[in-house]
Amino acid sequence: MQKIPLMLTKEGMVLARDVFRNDSATGIPICGKGTVLTESLITRLDHMDVQSVYVSGHPVWADGDRSLEDMLQDLDRRFEKVRHDSLTTKLYDIYVKYLKRSMGDDGGRREAE
Amino acid sequence: MDDEKRNELKKIIMDTKTLPTLPGVVNKLNTLSENDKSSVQEMAKIVSSDQALSARILRLANSPSYGFYRVSTISNAMILLGVNVVKSLALSSSIFEIMEKNSVGLWEHSLGVGVAANLIARKLGLPECEEISTAALLHDIGKVIISLKCSDAEREIHRVIREKRVYSWEAEREILATDHAEVGNWLAKSWFLPDKLSEPIAYHHDVTLSENHRIKTSVVHMADVIIKASGFGNSGDYFVPQIQKEAWNALKLDDQLMVEIVEELEDKLVEVKNFSLELQGSDATTG
Ligand SMILES: [Fe+2]
Ligand SMILES: [Fe+2]
Repeated sequence: MQKIPLMLTKEGMVLARDVFRNDSATGIPICGKGTVLTESLITRLDHMDVQSVYVSGHPVWADGDRSLEDMLQDLDRRFEKVRHDSLTTKLYDIYVKYLKRSMGDDGGRREAE
Repeated sequence: MDDEKRNELKKIIMDTKTLPTLPGVVNKLNTLSENDKSSVQEMAKIVSSDQALSARILRLANSPSYGFYRVSTISNAMILLGVNVVKSLALSSSIFEIMEKNSVGLWEHSLGVGVAANLIARKLGLPECEEISTAALLHDIGKVIISLKCSDAEREIHRVIREKRVYSWEAEREILATDHAEVGNWLAKSWFLPDKLSEPIAYHHDVTLSENHRIKTSVVHMADVIIKASGFGNSGDYFVPQIQKEAWNALKLDDQLMVEIVEELEDKLVEVKNFSLELQGSDATTG
């Protein structure tokens, strides 16, 4: 499952969570989990001010096709000046865990192919 | 020598005639005092009279950095965000416009830090969350000024960052004998922004220098570090700064809070990306 901006949705993607008006997660859903997106449905959601949706799999790769290893490598690069510092390393560890979890839950990019 | 260079630069940078043209109404805003009830209404009237400016303010007020669902009128914005915030948005709207168009990476970095700061402030139950968001949105505004006023130096700065692999402020100090935090502070002072906004701008790299608003400054510092950790946007260099112990302690942060903040932030960043894409999309279609 991946949360993506409505602008990046495409026909054929499958909703992984109910969609609510104004992204509010309360009230009556305007579109149910499991629905396959179509052009007209996307337009309708846009008119209803829906900003983002949860879709199945991991169909959108923000910076080209990135694997978990690539992302962890980038993370290492970003933290290269501060790994000696214990407080900042806490944040590093949190991000490692976060990336592993968010990239791992659907089996990474193999499923997207 | 360095002092001379710095003063010279300060003169160039603060020459209001060559600053991005501020809307005429902004000067009027500065003559009104902030705590006077009648001037709040007066201010809303003045701002609303400039349609383009109102539109830009409302766009920022509706950015994910503030976490309101919809702010539809200027007087609404005054009530929800406060006079200070609307005034600073008016003052900085032309600079944000330049950022949106010419440095999308810095714009996304700023929006991201705005969102992160708002999240931290709300999570900690701090007062004046809107001011904190605004300070965060503005924290790297000095970079825009440097790029506008000293584009040659800016190229040099980027070369130094690449070659020496240093933080942007280190490269700036080497080339300009000052850095974007100080330049941002000059600007904030020349706009008469209150020090709850200027201190986080001036001291987001070193919160120990902040005397009156250590908490707000610490939130902006942490938000900046976390956004750089997440790799969202592009602030000029990609190195995560060190978390200052003083900031961590001032906010009484702990591991569990940090986990929650990262989790919630990453979820929100999707909206931030969407907001930025939408703005660029609308700019592309309107020319
Ligand atoms: Fe900065
Ligand atoms: Fe920054």
